[in-house]
Amino acid sequence: MKRALIVALREVRTYLQDKADLAFSLLLPIVTFALIYGAFGGSELFHGTAYIVNEDVNGTYTEKLIEQIGQEKSLDVELLSRTDAESKLGRSDLNIVLFIPAGFSDKLNTNQPAELTFLQRGNGGQEGQIVASIIRGVVSKLNQEFSVLDQTKQILTGKGIVTEQIAITTQKFLEREQEYPLIEVKEVAIGSKPNMVNQFLPGIITMYVLFAINIGTAAIVEERRRGTLERLLTTHLSPSELFFGKFMASALRGFIQTFILLALSYAVFHIFTPLSFLECLLIAFLFTMACSTIGLVIASLSRTQDAATWIGVTFTMAMTIFGGTFFTISKGSALYTLSKLSINTYANNAFKTLIAEGGHISDLGLEIGVIAGVTIVGLVISRFFFKAVSKGK
Amino acid sequence: MGEAFLAVKDIYKSFNGQKAVNGVSFTIDKGEIFGLLGPNGAGKTTVIRILSTVLAADTGDATVGGYSLRKNPAEVRDLVGVCPQDLALYEDLSALDNLIFFGQLEGLNGREAKAQAMSHLALMGLTERAKGKISKFSGGMKRRINLAIALMGNSKLLFLDEPTVGIDPQSRNNIFETIRGLRDKGMTILYTTHYMEEANRLCDRIAIMDGGKFVAMDTPQGLKRQIGDPDKVTLEDIFLKLTGRSLRD
Ligand SMILES: Nc1ncnc2c1ncn2[C@@H]1O[C@H](COP(=O)(O)OP(=O)(O)OP(=O)(O)O)[C@@H](O)[C@H]1O
Ligand SMILES: [Mg+2]
Repeated sequence: MKRALIVALREVRTYLQDKADLAFSLLLPIVTFALIYGAFGGSELFHGTAYIVNEDVNGTYTEKLIEQIGQEKSLDVELLSRTDAESKLGRSDLNIVLFIPAGFSDKLNTNQPAELTFLQRGNGGQEGQIVASIIRGVVSKLNQEFSVLDQTKQILTGKGIVTEQIAITTQKFLEREQEYPLIEVKEVAIGSKPNMVNQFLPGIITMYVLFAINIGTAAIVEERRRGTLERLLTTHLSPSELFFGKFMASALRGFIQTFILLALSYAVFHIFTPLSFLECLLIAFLFTMACSTIGLVIASLSRTQDAATWIGVTFTMAMTIFGGTFFTISKGSALYTLSKLSINTYANNAFKTLIAEGGHISDLGLEIGVIAGVTIVGLVISRFFFKAVSKGK
Repeated sequence: MGEAFLAVKDIYKSFNGQKAVNGVSFTIDKGEIFGLLGPNGAGKTTVIRILSTVLAADTGDATVGGYSLRKNPAEVRDLVGVCPQDLALYEDLSALDNLIFFGQLEGLNGREAKAQAMSHLALMGLTERAKGKISKFSGGMKRRINLAIALMGNSKLLFLDEPTVGIDPQSRNNIFETIRGLRDKGMTILYTTHYMEEANRLCDRIAIMDGGKFVAMDTPQGLKRQIGDPDKVTLEDIFLKLTGRSLRD
């Protein structure tokens, strides 16, 4: 046991010393998380572009209108010429364009009704409708400002107050009202779209942990390639101790990566309670141990790095497909029976129960039993295969 | 003859039907340096791999200090130290860490392992490089560490498979001194080499192996006497006479 620990420590030490390897293995879960986040998480806020044709050149109100549209957080403004806009609409490059006609500001200045037009294909598309409604909001705010100013002027004119003073004061009140509105509408994001993450995260974690198989395999295959495997076996170290040492080191290594992935998910997706997070970690750790031993079994069966890689890839794919990692297998189908043979099924079920169904470790007797069983059987048979395969060569 | 520390009986080993070791028997006395010579592919390394328990013989057995390879492999491993023909080192660890690691696996505690490691590094003239990573070492330095590892622990029997290939004459002399010193303290040594001069200087007895079999076994003097005046013939003459002049694969 002490010698197994020495082997494990040596492995961990090498891992820590190879800075490139270390950086890569720590980055891997972060990149994986970024991919998950990119796919399911992040801000769900709308963002679009307002395409505007402005023929009211130098119009004061038009400038104000465009400026205010540009200040909307969810909109970018892109100005187009009329011909450009028409040809883009014609080609369906654009679905909706705001058209500001010549003389728009003049009409407003002289208290005549003015008009804005949306040119659009069909209903303008979903995004177009959202953009249009945001622009309508801006316009109606401007409208209100005009009418408030207009009515105030009408009431106060002839009461000895300078017209400019009326305009400035009204503007001040309007600005204050904008800054401290009586009714404020806030958007508070509580995590991200929940269903997608709940549905896919268990499968992704399962897949991710499954890759720990490679770490277990590499731990032995590397020794063989280096020539140190045989040397180790001429010391007092027994094959069992060797395998147990490798098992500890690769389980630890795999678990560090899984931990990073889970911790990031915990911090960002808000789909765990502290308890369910700890329960997930425990299942992840058990599953990492099982995968490490599967890696050791593969290594003990293969003589070369290539052989190990191919067995590893084939095994991983088979487990993933049979395990229904990303889709639901209907009960009673042939695949359902096959799925019982995949360790992914049990890991995936366990994560699903904890993450998506609000269940607990106590509901996972079968899953934990199978995963722990694979670990123990794996440790025993890897030793056995190793003896049988390597002694003759 | 003294008491035999290693007794090999009728070992056979084939790889895919090809006989690599074809019936080999010999003994090595306690405190003896036994040279194993032979052309490439003769089966020397295969014999050593079998005797160090990493490879199972098809038939035959051997005893080390009274323990049988087949029945007590763990006890045999406790008694032997091996310097493999191919380098077997952790490139990303320092020389010292390599030695300490294998020393601990040979049953030394941390302090003993470190003390032994430092003294072996001194023996190999590499004290200055103790903390240096193996990957930064020259070929000959790596060879010297490879040998130093074999000396770690409290082995009673050493298998040294071409330990001095690629090592400069200064260090080589040093290594010979060390090996003789070990023998004088009772260490038993099986030594393979292609350098006849080396075998002549170092070995108490020599076996010449070809095609998986021993074709001669005697003291260097005795072997030379077989074909003429021992002062005039060299080991090389004998080697070529016994194993032929054709090239080996
Ligand atoms: N693992 C193996 N698989 C198949 N054949 C092998 C294996 N190891 C050795 N052989 C064959 O066994 C024979 C003896 O090889 P061995 O390495 O024992 O020779 P050697 O005397 O050590 O040669 P050298 O002086 O070149 O080191 C050779 O024909 C070799 O090709
Ligand atoms: Mg050899």
